[in-house]
Amino acid sequence: MIFQCEQIEARLSDYLEGALLPGEVAAFDAHTATCAKCHALTAAVRGLVGEMHALEPVAAPMNLVPAILDQTIGTRKSPGGWKAWFGWTRALIQPRFAYGTLTVLVTAAVVSQALGIQWRTPTVADLNPVNMYRMVDRQAHLVYSRGAKFVGDMRVVYEIRSRLQPDLEDETPAQKAPATKPSDPGRSETPETNPRNPNHARFVGNATPNVASLFVVASLRSKP
Amino acid sequence: MEPEAQLVAQCLQGDGSAWEELVRRHSRRIFNLCYRFTNQRQEAEDLSQEVFLRVYRTLGSYRSTYGAFGTWVTSVTRNLLIDHYRRTKRDRLTDSMEDTMTQVEEKESAGRRPDQVAAVAELGMHLQRALAKLSPDLREAVILRDLEGLDYKEIQQVLEVPEGTVKSRINRGRIELARILEAMGMRPN
Repeated sequence: MIFQCEQIEARLSDYLEGALLPGEVAAFDAHTATCAKCHALTAAVRGLVGEMHALEPVAAPMNLVPAILDQTIGTRKSPGGWKAWFGWTRALIQPRFAYGTLTVLVTAAVVSQALGIQWRTPTVADLNPVNMYRMVDRQAHLVYSRGAKFVGDMRVVYEIRSRLQPDLEDETPAQKAPATKPSDPGRSETPETNPRNPNHARFVGNATPNVASLFVVASLRSKP
Repeated sequence: MEPEAQLVAQCLQGDGSAWEELVRRHSRRIFNLCYRFTNQRQEAEDLSQEVFLRVYRTLGSYRSTYGAFGTWVTSVTRNLLIDHYRRTKRDRLTDSMEDTMTQVEEKESAGRRPDQVAAVAELGMHLQRALAKLSPDLREAVILRDLEGLDYKEIQQVLEVPEGTVKSRINRGRIELARILEAMGMRPN
């Protein structure tokens, strides 16, 4: 099957929308590969269709709907009586309002927890900016100190383990990790070849079984 | 959301809120259709009101066998646009349409960067100018397909022509539009 320029133009939209048969697609591609004019036309129409699909609708005038309603069902009466008083409550039963309210409540709970506000015994002093700053500062220092303590405890566990089980450090050649070959791309030095290498991934793997002992050590140290 | 057939039935029983819901659902789409076709914002607003007025008066003639309510409203819009085009043909000069096209389209940015918003707005302006140069039958086919997103069957119902004619008009309209934009110095990405 061979396509000429006239057929390319006639079947261009079918081609772009995937409506051509495989044989026709091949014939289309074969022609556009050799014909600069058809190639440019195909690219231009493809780009145009893509940009038209990406265009967003134009905003309608604000008074369009009210004007239409006035011309069709006439001027609507404002609700009277209790409907006028409580008409605004219709907005409260919208899902969007409920999601927004829930989000605000959750955010307020998280922030108040961080600020250390006691909701069971609230006081006006809790809202004092100076007290809020002190609480945030205290919380930040607490988190930092707990993190530093955790790292220190991990270090203690490692030192104890290395002293109690020194024979695990002397591994057989078969258990050793294969030496880095010059032909292996991407492989860096290991701690065995360079003690200063910070690649302690094997240390983390070996220290994992001692997590339970870590908590025991931490609990013993925290007791007065 | 209530199905539209149910809303239409409620409208026919005199329920004003059902009619209001139908208007809110379709007003923006009909306005866009009128604006893309006429290239005049005020004319599009007037025509949109006229569309819904006609729909309101002939609501009793709508049958679900005609297709979706939205398709029926689009069909009414298209007929009105063609009537308007024929009525104003003698008073309209192609060049004057370009001269009046000075306002920037209001678009919802939908979170785009300012440079992207400006690029889209510029494309929209050039596209409007190019659409104005197309013949009405090609223009309406391209607008319904590529700007309103209707499928071929819906366009066939709106234009009341065979599907082959719909495809042919869309194809010729796209090619012609691309050539017009290229002549204007705009190359789509």
